[in-house]
Amino acid sequence: MDAAEAAAVLARARQGDSDAFRALVERHSRTVFRLAFRMTGNEQDAEDVVQESFLRAYRQLGRFESRANFGTWLYRIVANCSVDLMRAKQARHDQARGEPLETAADMPAADTPDPQRLAESAEISRRVQHALGALSPLERAAFTLRHYEGRSIDEIGRTLGLGTSAAKHSVFRAVKKLRHALQPLRSLANRGLAPQESQR
Amino acid sequence: MSHYGEGDLILYYYGEGRRRHDIERHLDACPACAATYRDISSTLAMVDVPAVPERGDQYGLEVWQRIRHRLPEPQQDVWSKHSAGPGRAAWTELATWWRRLVERTFRADRLAILAAAATIAIVAFVAGRFWSTPSKPAATITATQAPDGGSLPGLRQRILIGSVADHLDRSERMLTDIMNASVPGDISAEQRWAEDLLTTSRLYRQDAVDIGERSVANVLDDLERSLIEIVHSPSQVTAADLDAMRRRIDAAALLFKVRVMSNELQEREGTRSAGDASPRTSTRKTS
Repeated sequence: MDAAEAAAVLARARQGDSDAFRALVERHSRTVFRLAFRMTGNEQDAEDVVQESFLRAYRQLGRFESRANFGTWLYRIVANCSVDLMRAKQARHDQARGEPLETAADMPAADTPDPQRLAESAEISRRVQHALGALSPLERAAFTLRHYEGRSIDEIGRTLGLGTSAAKHSVFRAVKKLRHALQPLRSLANRGLAPQESQR
Repeated sequence: MSHYGEGDLILYYYGEGRRRHDIERHLDACPACAATYRDISSTLAMVDVPAVPERGDQYGLEVWQRIRHRLPEPQQDVWSKHSAGPGRAAWTELATWWRRLVERTFRADRLAILAAAATIAIVAFVAGRFWSTPSKPAATITATQAPDGGSLPGLRQRILIGSVADHLDRSERMLTDIMNASVPGDISAEQRWAEDLLTTSRLYRQDAVDIGERSVANVLDDLERSLIEIVHSPSQVTAADLDAMRRRIDAAALLFKVRVMSNELQEREGTRSAGDASPRTSTRKTS
């Protein structure tokens, strides 16, 4: 689909043509899913975000400024839908448990604390995912956009509807929490790797 | 020596922030800040970009199938809302032109041009509505005669009924094959068949919607979901895969619906053929 064709499809979708909107869904679904998965870290949640994002986009098509880029506009919707879903999940979790999420530092190791095993990527990945899960929805969203998506602080602010300072501090808080949560893993991994490093 | 905060070092890690050269020099000279930076960078290095589960080429279609029945009325802006109905093209063009003119004019603060533009816009709008009112495209289409003497919508409906009945027959055979497939087995032939049927089904469903055949469209919609599932299943199916697939087909009563609709359409087609004064070529094909 070239630019002129894409603009025509978008114009028809804005006038309520559901077939044109279908073409947009078919074109953007995979990109939307990728972002949703990175934001939520969970396949099922990502699928929910994909559906909700397109429904929200359809409801708001009349407000879409035709000179803007549809992909960028949709990207913002997906990011914000992800935040909303994570907030809703967290609220349900807090209500059910009455306590905050545990941190990766509190999380027991899968096996005996063998430093070499801990250094394995699967274990690190598991711990990192857990640490990311302990971030607030906004921190996680800001961190995902910065770390995985390579967005600048200004872009993060625009995407999430935050000021530059708030976007920056969301990223800072996320990194601070990750440093704290992954500290035990880092220390153990370093201790495990130390003998190997000394042999080099 | 003044030190850099964690925030500065995080921005430095991501290639953002000011005074990057100053920070670089400082990190060479300050062991405390260098240690903090190492700590930040080693933490962030552990956070790899996650592998995103693969989604196939048909994923967009699957998403559409999931959301299409939940689409609400779009909130159209005032321009789009008023552009519906007679004089629609003129309205849209005029609205766009008017909006741009207003933006430019307000920026330049040229109120005289604005007043002139307003006058032109009103005249153009009234003229557009006046000229477009007598043209009634729907009425024109209805009155247009098909080559065999029937109306075009009637002809379209007749062709669709014959084609869909045939399509449902083929789909029923494919579904029956799936229901009777041996396990564990290879269903790649059925998948290729389902893929062909899927493409055709989408076109017929849209046609059915266009001419108001809602019940036909609904059966085709149900069929499309199952076809998508079959196309995206692994070719080498286990007993469990096939059982799950069969249960879903059963749960949707799909074979039953397809048979009933196919019979109904064949009856309708037979009635029409019998009622036709002049003989015509059947649209049914054998496959």
